[in-house]
Amino acid sequence: MRSDSISGSFNRRFSLIKNARLFSQGAYLSYIALFHWLQPAPYLASKIVMPLAQMFFFVFLGTFGSETLPASFFVIGNAMQMAAVSGIYGVTMAIGGDRWEGTLVYLFGTPAPRMSIFLGRASAHILDGILGIIIGFFWGWLLLGLDLGSTNFALLALAVVVTVFSTSGLGLVMGCVGLITRNVMFVNNTIYFLLLLLSGANVPLDRLPGWLRGVSRSLPLSRGIEAARLIISGGETGRALTLLAGEAAVGAAYLVVGYLLFSGFEKAAKRRGSLEVA
Amino acid sequence: MKREIKRRGKARAAVIIRVMEMTLKQNLTDGFVIFTVLIQPLLVALLGIWMLQDKGPEYAIYIVVGSGMSGLWSSLVFISGNAVNVERWFGTLETLIGVPTPLSAIVFGKNLAHVLQSLGSILLCYVLASAFFGYPLTVAMPLPFAVSLLCVVLAFICFGLLIAPLFVLNPQIASFQNGLEFPVYVVSGFLFPIAMLPLWTVPISYALPTYWAAKAMHASARASETLGSIAFSWLVLLLTSVVYAGIGVILFRVVIRKAKEKATLDAF
Repeated sequence: MRSDSISGSFNRRFSLIKNARLFSQGAYLSYIALFHWLQPAPYLASKIVMPLAQMFFFVFLGTFGSETLPASFFVIGNAMQMAAVSGIYGVTMAIGGDRWEGTLVYLFGTPAPRMSIFLGRASAHILDGILGIIIGFFWGWLLLGLDLGSTNFALLALAVVVTVFSTSGLGLVMGCVGLITRNVMFVNNTIYFLLLLLSGANVPLDRLPGWLRGVSRSLPLSRGIEAARLIISGGETGRALTLLAGEAAVGAAYLVVGYLLFSGFEKAAKRRGSLEVA
Repeated sequence: MKREIKRRGKARAAVIIRVMEMTLKQNLTDGFVIFTVLIQPLLVALLGIWMLQDKGPEYAIYIVVGSGMSGLWSSLVFISGNAVNVERWFGTLETLIGVPTPLSAIVFGKNLAHVLQSLGSILLCYVLASAFFGYPLTVAMPLPFAVSLLCVVLAFICFGLLIAPLFVLNPQIASFQNGLEFPVYVVSGFLFPIAMLPLWTVPISYALPTYWAAKAMHASARASETLGSIAFSWLVLLLTSVVYAGIGVILFRVVIRKAKEKATLDAF
């Protein structure tokens, strides 16, 4: 009896270590595989130059076009929007990449718990997304005069983490879509630009038609960006926390949907014998 | 001699037209091309419409032209830039090098297709702003606008002739593609004047045909400059076209020579 208990405890611990290893290996390998990390040019282009230039473009466009909104509106919006570079492109390609590389069969053939694989793929990109937003704020502060004097930095850090998490949730769903479509980059690019339009990063949500505002609220980023603006302007903490709770809930919903899709596609592909063409 | 030149010219034109036709057909099934040429400029136009709302309806034509120009550039950098590389990926580059038609003429045909289909983005943005947002859209100087359009087509094709072999010769630049899109949107003044930018960026703008293209198109669409000023932009576009095409043809020769010398046509 005692021996069974020890054995059970050992098995649980072993299983935990195994899951942790799957999680960390998946995170590390998906990260280095995505941009061929050992070459700095694709990394610099995709993670620093492109987001920075994009931020400049929208900040200049916004300040040129708006007579009422300050430059900080666009700087904060576009710094937070950088979560989508890792959250959408990174996560989608980390999930969908197995199909293009022909490794999906092996992945689905392993007994590894799917949740460890699934979250492991996303986690490195969550860290990368956090780094992207920090870089965005740094450029905004250094080059575009963003005033961080009234900022509660702990709360802003929370906003960044929650927003990257929720955006990665959408990325996981898109990654699953990538398992069943040939045009994953078409879907990715469209979602990324739709977020630029609907997240509130560049266009105040009250300018959008009512139905588009509804769409915006069902997407990640919109509450996170609003919260970040509130935090940086020294606004009410309670309101910011409410927005962040909403953002986290949106992210969790996408995560659950993504996991269910991942499991569903696996079962369907195995049943039909169409793993590579599912 | 004259007859021979005429015959060769006809043959070359026929190849260019055929390549253009094939490229257009191929692109119709390519999701990335459809996004770059049609969807992205439409989304940029929507962003422009809502972000420049305070400027009033007279800016609608500015947004239409600017969004279309963004589509032209994205198409150039992502699609025309890979005009040679894509043949390498398909395994057809050896065949193209083997035919008597110069590779530069084939890429010219491809670029012609890319630029012409990208012009569709201006038309789409026009329809979006006019039909869905009800903006009154009129081109203030129709004839200069048409001439500007022709100059832009030529300039973008020739710029494509420069970057396609450049991306092959220097893969580092090609891997930087993602970082080339928005900086050119910024320094070319597609959707806001370059007067907003720091002074040190002005020479960069002046060196790019995209800036002169946007300048000519915006000015003729809105009659915001004199005809003389617009004509100056045409002149610069034509001159840069000649220069970029000349350098491009030389680079194509370098690409082919290097590949043949090293016997690495499909790997460079």
